[in-house]
Amino acid sequence: MIRRAQLSTPQANRSFFQQAWIRFKRHPLARLGAAVLLVFYLGALFADFLAPYPEEKSFRDFSFASPTQIFWRDQNGQLTRPYVCASERRRNLETFKVEVITDCEKGRYPIYFFVKGEPYRFLGLIPADLRLMGGPWLLEDQAKLFLWGTDDFGRDIWGRIWFGARISLTIGIFAVALALLIGIFMGSISGFYAGRPVTFSIGLLNPRFWEFVRRSRWLDHLLALVGLILMAALLYGMGQGYERYIKPDLQRVSTLALGGLGLVLGLVGLGGLMYFLVWRSHLARALLWLSAWGGMAWLLWITVWGFWQSSRGLEAIIAGLIGAALLGAIGYILLWPRIELDLDTLIMRAVEVLAAIPDLFLLIILSVLIPMEVPPAVRFVLVVTILSFVNWGGLARIIRSQVLQLREMEFAQAAQALGAGDARIIIRHVLPGTYTYLIVAVTLAIPGFILGESGLSFLGLGIQEPATSWGLMLSKAQATGITAFSERPWLLIPGVFILLAVLAYNFMGDGLRDALDPRTKV
Amino acid sequence: MFGYVVRRLLQLIPTFFGATLLAFLVIQLAPGDFVTRLELDPTQDRESIANLRQQLGLDQPLPVQYAKWLSGILQGYLGLSLSYKTDVWNVIGQRILNSMVLVVLATLMIYLVAIPVGVYSAIRKYTWPDRTFTVLAFLGLAIPNFFFGLIMLFLAVWLSDLTDMRILPIGGMTNEFLHLGNMTRAAQILFPPALLGTLVFAGLFWWRVQRKQAATFGIWVGLVLFGMSALLMLWPLLQGPGLPERLPYTESPLWARITNVLWHAFPVVIVVGTSGLAGLMRVMRGQMLDVLSQDYIRTARAKGLSERVVIYKHALRNAVIPFIAGIGGLLPGLIGGAGLVEVTMAWPGITPALLEAISAIDVYVIMGLITITTVLLMIGNVVSDLLLAWVDPRIRYS
Repeated sequence: MIRRAQLSTPQANRSFFQQAWIRFKRHPLARLGAAVLLVFYLGALFADFLAPYPEEKSFRDFSFASPTQIFWRDQNGQLTRPYVCASERRRNLETFKVEVITDCEKGRYPIYFFVKGEPYRFLGLIPADLRLMGGPWLLEDQAKLFLWGTDDFGRDIWGRIWFGARISLTIGIFAVALALLIGIFMGSISGFYAGRPVTFSIGLLNPRFWEFVRRSRWLDHLLALVGLILMAALLYGMGQGYERYIKPDLQRVSTLALGGLGLVLGLVGLGGLMYFLVWRSHLARALLWLSAWGGMAWLLWITVWGFWQSSRGLEAIIAGLIGAALLGAIGYILLWPRIELDLDTLIMRAVEVLAAIPDLFLLIILSVLIPMEVPPAVRFVLVVTILSFVNWGGLARIIRSQVLQLREMEFAQAAQALGAGDARIIIRHVLPGTYTYLIVAVTLAIPGFILGESGLSFLGLGIQEPATSWGLMLSKAQATGITAFSERPWLLIPGVFILLAVLAYNFMGDGLRDALDPRTKV
Repeated sequence: MFGYVVRRLLQLIPTFFGATLLAFLVIQLAPGDFVTRLELDPTQDRESIANLRQQLGLDQPLPVQYAKWLSGILQGYLGLSLSYKTDVWNVIGQRILNSMVLVVLATLMIYLVAIPVGVYSAIRKYTWPDRTFTVLAFLGLAIPNFFFGLIMLFLAVWLSDLTDMRILPIGGMTNEFLHLGNMTRAAQILFPPALLGTLVFAGLFWWRVQRKQAATFGIWVGLVLFGMSALLMLWPLLQGPGLPERLPYTESPLWARITNVLWHAFPVVIVVGTSGLAGLMRVMRGQMLDVLSQDYIRTARAKGLSERVVIYKHALRNAVIPFIAGIGGLLPGLIGGAGLVEVTMAWPGITPALLEAISAIDVYVIMGLITITTVLLMIGNVVSDLLLAWVDPRIRYS
């Protein structure tokens, strides 16, 4: 009886996300993907615990050492606690090659678990010295423990896999978050204003110009003036803050975090001032577009003049004619017509431009912009920025298509009829409808970012020493020549981890897509 | 339709300007220019450096440099390579052709494999071959292609250690010396089976034509593959015995050079094409499953048509429509994806050239490479849009 009662629980009692969760749990591959990712992220979090050596500890004598042999049987062939033997680098008298040679006569060192190792700070804060494997011999450096061998500097690959996971696995999430931010902003504006052009400029002599300017009160103009002054002050303050406090101390992570926070707050403040004070005044808007046209004319003038001076013959004549025509057009625009701008066309053209250049090439030329001498944390942030700059277009397109659909719905029109502003309609009424779709899109986009980062680092343009990522570790297999493949295959291990991470994300994304699709039944 | 084509082509113009301007700005924003390296050298004369910069036009403001470059492009001149002191086209032309070899071969491979495998998977849904293909497709989508390239090299080294023969090439696009003797002997051994295969497939073809049936896809593929290889082997058989055992690449006959390049391209193409192949295989399977559940398929079966006709005539022709458009989405992935593989497997293509040019800050070579790939990409997208519009009568050209 009880069993039947449980089975017949009406579906209406479960919320959409509860149903989705049930569907997700039934997807075996998705569960597997989620489990693998959980293991990876925990491994990245506890990298210090998993690794027997600190991240940057290198043994110059042991470059490209093969994985340390672990023995399970003692001299008599009895099973025993796993142990390693002392090893050193010397010439093998049989093959005459310099090799790492293990010699059990010189000492046997049992591996202990959960032991005291070299001290570290867990999460960069809590002092700790507990490590998964090791023993007193490891601290005293009597024998080595390289589970998966070492790289060219003699650093333990097993440990660095987990340190690298910190970058390789988080870069996808950060980059997708940033790309999503840009994508939501651009996509929702583009979708919401599609087919509703916005007035960009009106000519000075046009009667509608004065009509436009008179639309706001005197107080608004005053407030806009205050806003412009405040914006200038804020910009000056940001510049001064950077010069005084951030620039002298760029190598410290806390300073960088402070600088990043300041930048974000400053940008938010600038945007707020712009939207709430300056934009209210129609005079300020008119001045803004006038200065925009003026700047364009100035740029054009420089170009045409420079071009005209350094060319001769037909080329000079054509350049002069084109320049004169363009300058004339700008002059006419300043004087008479009303220019309307379709934000949708503008943004979608920008997306097309970004999509026209092959992603890899755009990534490569952008990564050259990163200065060589920046600390790893800044480099990480800049790589994230580049990746999301190249890839926001796809997300923006998805959001645009969804918004285009949702803005025609009754609830959006009702909100408009009730007098809600555009920003409120977009944020409160339209965007929530895209969430389920976005979750799937984001999960399926993360592996692309992981691959992008590892590719860039593989080329030596992304993350750089002394920090590490899986792509950078894999590049060691490439950099050390053809012999690397037969002599030191353990350098390929990071590639397996990239493969597994991407596979797990793909599985999870597939499961989420099936789970969040409202057409499938529980 | 004509209006649609014209409009679609006109739309390319602003995109082209935008893309080149963006690329130009990004390249020029990077610190330093071509001459900066000379400035660090104390033996160089300051004045001559300034002269050089003026000669190369690097002292002009950015918009002027862009306008200069643009006017060159419109006259079909890509600019001067600063480090090679020659026309950019001489530097990059061969590199672009090399990359195109990969892209074309990979596209061919993708379409030749993805369609039959996708159809097969859809017809035998949830059988073990289907599951195997699904697992392989997931792996193919997830494996970073540079890692796959490394594994391929590993395999090649391992095979050559194992058998003491170069079965797979270890990087590069050509050998310095071609062993014509070996090639001729290989052709002598391989020609009879190739000829036999060709004859068998030709016989099958003839048999089906006799019975007034269209030849199947498999027969076409077998005929073309065996026929092509038999044809390729005719030249070494006819010409080979008279030639020396070993010749430098540049002096070898054309057939030997083509064979050599194809042999080098074989593993690279597999690596480059894998992810696209895996993706399209899944798309094809999904499309085919969609179509097979339509009402008209049931009607066709109810009419008593044979399963073969139902699948190839009614289902496949409808399922393949969006697939053709896939070529547009494939190209950027192929060009970009070929990039990392080219670096890994030492294929002298676009991306290695780009990396070299970037480290030398050879602005116009970088611009030339990016412009040409961008244009190729845009043309590819337009072609696939037009193909789609041409194939699918439901699409409106507005």
